[in-house]
Amino acid sequence: MKWLELLQVAGVTLLAAVTLVVLYSLGVRLTAIAGDARQKSPAVVRSLAYVCFAFCGAAVLFGIYLIVPYFGK
Amino acid sequence: MVALVIALALFFDFTNGFHDTANAMATPIATGAIKPKTAVALAAVLNLVGAFLSTEVAKTISGGLIREGSDGIHITPDIIFAGLMGAVLWNMITWLKGLPSSSSHALFGGLIGAAVVGIGFHSINFETVLQKVILPAIFAPLIAGLVAYICTRLAYALTSRHDPETGDKLTQKRGGFRTGQIFTSSLVALAHGTNDAQKTMGIITLVLIAGGTQAPGSGPQFWVIAACAFAIAIGTYAGGWRIIRTMGSGLTEVKPAQGFSAETSTASAILASSHLGFALSTTQVASGSVIGSGLGRKGTSVRWGTAGKIALGWLFTLPASAIVGALTALLVSIGVVGVVIAAVVGTAAVLFMFVVSRRSHVGHHNAVEVEEAGHAVRFRKKKKSRKTTQSEDVQR
Repeated sequence: MKWLELLQVAGVTLLAAVTLVVLYSLGVRLTAIAGDARQKSPAVVRSLAYVCFAFCGAAVLFGIYLIVPYFGK
Repeated sequence: MVALVIALALFFDFTNGFHDTANAMATPIATGAIKPKTAVALAAVLNLVGAFLSTEVAKTISGGLIREGSDGIHITPDIIFAGLMGAVLWNMITWLKGLPSSSSHALFGGLIGAAVVGIGFHSINFETVLQKVILPAIFAPLIAGLVAYICTRLAYALTSRHDPETGDKLTQKRGGFRTGQIFTSSLVALAHGTNDAQKTMGIITLVLIAGGTQAPGSGPQFWVIAACAFAIAIGTYAGGWRIIRTMGSGLTEVKPAQGFSAETSTASAILASSHLGFALSTTQVASGSVIGSGLGRKGTSVRWGTAGKIALGWLFTLPASAIVGALTALLVSIGVVGVVIAAVVGTAAVLFMFVVSRRSHVGHHNAVEVEEAGHAVRFRKKKKSRKTTQSEDVQR
C-alpha cells in the first residue's frame, strides 16, 4: 500500500496551503494596519504588505515551476 | 469504431469540464469575488492552459487498473467505448441532480464494468482499484478538509485585530481576501486542467494504441492534447450552474477568507497529489475543502444534509457507472448492430436529460443567490449579516 505517498501528499498539501494562506493573511493584516487613522508611517506598512503579497505570488509561481515538466529537465 | 470512441471521449471531456467548473469557481462566485460569467470564462482559459502545461498524468492514467499486455488480455476499443458510455451517462445524471461527483470515478467505474462483462472478472486488478479509487476517495476529502480547516483558522487568527485598550474590533479588511480569491480560484482551474484533461488524453491514447495506430508506451500526440484541451475548456465555459449552486451555497456559507483558504487547499492538494503519484479526485478534494473551511470559521454551520447527499452520490458513482458500462459492453458484444443501438440509446438519454434540465433552468443568473446577498451585506452594518445567518439557521 502506498501509505508513504499518501503522507507525502498530505504533508506537501499542508505545507503549501499554509504558506500561501499565512503570507496572504499577513498581507491583509498589514493593509488593515496601514489603513488605521493613528498609524504614523502607513507607507512603510503598506509596502511591507505588498512584500507579503509578492512573496505569496512568488510561492505560487515556484510551485508551478516545480510541476511543469518542461522546466524540470 | 476508433473514431466513435474518440468522439465519445471528447464528449466525456466536455461533461467533465462543465461538471467541474464548480470546483474552481463556486466559492469566488458565492463571495462575489468574480462575476459568474467572467469566472467561467477565466476557468475555461486556465483549463486550456493547464491541459497544455503538463501531460504527466495522461501517461499513467488507467494503467494497471485493468490487467493488460503480457497476460494476453488486450483492451479493445469496444470496452473503452462501453466504459466511456457509463461515465458520460453518470456525469449527466449527477449534473441534473446538481451533485458534485467525481468524473474520474465515473470513468474508472465505467471501464471496470465494461471490462468485467467484456473480458471477465479476472481482468480487474482489485488491489489497484482499492489503491487508486477507494482509498483516495476516503482520504481526499479528509486531507483537503483538514488543511482547509487549519488554513481558515490561521487566516482568521492572523487578521483578527482588537484595540489593546478598549477591546473593540478594529478594521480587518478581510475583503482583501476577495482579490486573493481571483488568483486562488484561477490556480484551481489550472490544476483541474493539468489533472482532468489528462484523463481523456490518456483514454484516447489508449484507444489509438489498442487500434494499432500508435506505438505502445508512447505519450499523447499533439492533436489529442489540443482536442482534449479545447473540449474541456468549452465544457467549462458551458458551466455546470447546478453544481455551482450546490458547492457555492449548499454546503456552507462562504466568506472571502474561507473561500481563499478552501481554494488554496484545493489547488495544493490537487497539484501535490497528481505530481506525487497518489491521484486524488478534484471534486472530492474541492468538496472537502469547502466543508473544512466551513468548520474553521466560528459561527458558520455546515449543512450536513447536503454533504451526506453528496457522499451518497460518491458511493454510487463507481457501481452505477460500472452497471451502465457493463450493459453497454453487453450490447457492443453483439456486433455492429449493438454498437449502433448503444450509441443511439446513449445519445437519446443525454438529450432527454438535457430537455429535463431545461424545465428547471439553473443559469448564471440564479446559480448562487448568495451572491446578491453578499453584495447587499457588503455595504451594510455587520449586524445585518449575522441576522441573515440566523434566519438561515431557522429555516433549516
